[in-house]
Amino acid sequence: MAVRAPAAAPVTLPRVLGPIRPRARWQELRLLALVAGALAVGSLSLGTTVTGRFGLQDVRGLAVYLGALLVAHVAQVLAGRRTDQVLLPAVAMLGGISLLLMERLPQDLVVQHFFGSSYGLADVQLIWLVGAIAVATILGIVVRSDSWLRRYKYTWAAAGVGLLLLTFVLGTEINGQRLTLEFGPISGQPSELLKVILVVFLAGYLSENRALLVEQDTRVGPLRLPPLPYLAPMVAMWAIALGIVVVQRDLGAALLFFGVFLALIYAATGRLSLVLIGLVLFLLGSAAMANLFEHVRTRIDVWLDPFADPLGTGYQVIQALHAFARGGLLGVGLGAGLPEVGGRPPIPEIHTDFPFAALGEELGIVGLVAILGIYLVIVQRGLRIGVAAADDFRSLLAIGLALVIGIQAFIIAAGNLKVLPLTGVTLPFISYGGSSLLANGLVVGLLLALSDKGVEPPPPPGTQSRWRRLGRSGAA
Amino acid sequence: MDGFTLVLWAVRLVFLLLLYLFLARVIRVLLRDLRAAAREPAQRPGRLVVLESPAGEPAVGRSFGLDVITSLGRDVNNAIVIDDPFASAEHAVLTYRGRNWYLEDLDSTNGSYVNGHPINGVAALGYGDEVQIGQVRMRLERT
Repeated sequence: MAVRAPAAAPVTLPRVLGPIRPRARWQELRLLALVAGALAVGSLSLGTTVTGRFGLQDVRGLAVYLGALLVAHVAQVLAGRRTDQVLLPAVAMLGGISLLLMERLPQDLVVQHFFGSSYGLADVQLIWLVGAIAVATILGIVVRSDSWLRRYKYTWAAAGVGLLLLTFVLGTEINGQRLTLEFGPISGQPSELLKVILVVFLAGYLSENRALLVEQDTRVGPLRLPPLPYLAPMVAMWAIALGIVVVQRDLGAALLFFGVFLALIYAATGRLSLVLIGLVLFLLGSAAMANLFEHVRTRIDVWLDPFADPLGTGYQVIQALHAFARGGLLGVGLGAGLPEVGGRPPIPEIHTDFPFAALGEELGIVGLVAILGIYLVIVQRGLRIGVAAADDFRSLLAIGLALVIGIQAFIIAAGNLKVLPLTGVTLPFISYGGSSLLANGLVVGLLLALSDKGVEPPPPPGTQSRWRRLGRSGAA
Repeated sequence: MDGFTLVLWAVRLVFLLLLYLFLARVIRVLLRDLRAAAREPAQRPGRLVVLESPAGEPAVGRSFGLDVITSLGRDVNNAIVIDDPFASAEHAVLTYRGRNWYLEDLDSTNGSYVNGHPINGVAALGYGDEVQIGQVRMRLERT
């Protein structure tokens, strides 16, 4: 510190550049140690099963992963922020389980070439996991203000929709779904990023108009309906996103967006009537879509009776059910499940769409319940951060981000178990996939940043939206 | 069942056990956090933080805990006394009804403002909104 700023100077300078006081995070370190122990035992279990002698599976991969966690922990200690200490260990546990699963699947499911050498499934997943942890940690350390999110919510929304449209026009088709955008060597699935953008937009819009949504009614005869005009722009935005997603045949993302939309509206207004209207609309919409689109009808038919076409459309779902059945209570053990059919695992797309079924076979229902418990912990942390937040935008943002992870995990777990029709979303932090891992890392990073009590105060409300001004004069 | 198989099963069970140990530890942390939050003194529904006050009373940065009904104005009998030449004696009332905040202007001479816009009678507020009485600007925050 060469120059000391005068006392009257504004204190809003970014403190990243100022003096930093390290703050110990013992809770996080203790939990991370437990994660390391559990993963080492898991690796021992896997290695012993696969090779037939006692030994760890892929010591190097495990060491790299645990090293990355340690670096993330130390970086947060040095940054000295009072952020949440449970989120990182919880995510680390899920990521570690993902790593164990990917090490055990056939490595040629995914082969990527970087800098002249090729990497198999586990190596690529390890790279993305470390990337996700890096994204979460960096955001958790650096983000000290949320005005860049709340000020530009319409810009974010437009960018998100633009990204989706771009995918629709320029995207590459994989398995009949046009979801992937490729720029030279980089490819990604924009719908993963769009879910974060959608939460930012909804949190911004709802926090600005919450008071009006709670207070006013549109009366149609004896019915007291919520103020429809104020919902119109939001519903329009949602319909655009949903329409594109349905046209792209990405039903999982559509379900996820809808769930997050309803949950956030309920969190913001506390009005069950809105949720009921939404559910009725959803049922009508799905019935219409099942009649209109072949691919939706197929999914629903498979859900109702997968055994009608056991070697065709129902094959994946039936194999997953068999996997759960083989797993039973305690599972067959890591590395011992999944009999291979012609050198491949019996379930197609097991590393992206069915990791829950694979874990169900190897860890049993006991292991699955623990994994679902870890997701619940992440959701609880997010809700808690939301309740403690100083203003509506932050609290809705935290709640929305946590629910994105929770609802997504529910949709795909329920799809694997044939509780819901199967839709192709990823299991957060466990499925293979760079876009998914990085987007979820982004979610956790934002939650970490929001959990800091000493965060910069909310910025003054900007110019009001037109809807709100109308409401003010009408409220007289 | 030879020794190898037995040990392998033990290792598998230990892995599941460690998963649950981790979960139990995490839940203990969460419970402690929730209990600490429950022990805090009964919470007021919100607070007003003074952002700008040319006359110096109330001072900038001061935070007022709010009751369900809080009166604002220049008169000393108000819950929040705003000693500003542009504030009326009984200027406005902040109320918390249902799960919403409302600001009601009591026919003050210079009016009340929310986020820079004058209000007509009653206006609904959200956390993070700014209230202006006379020249004093305040922000409504969750406690």
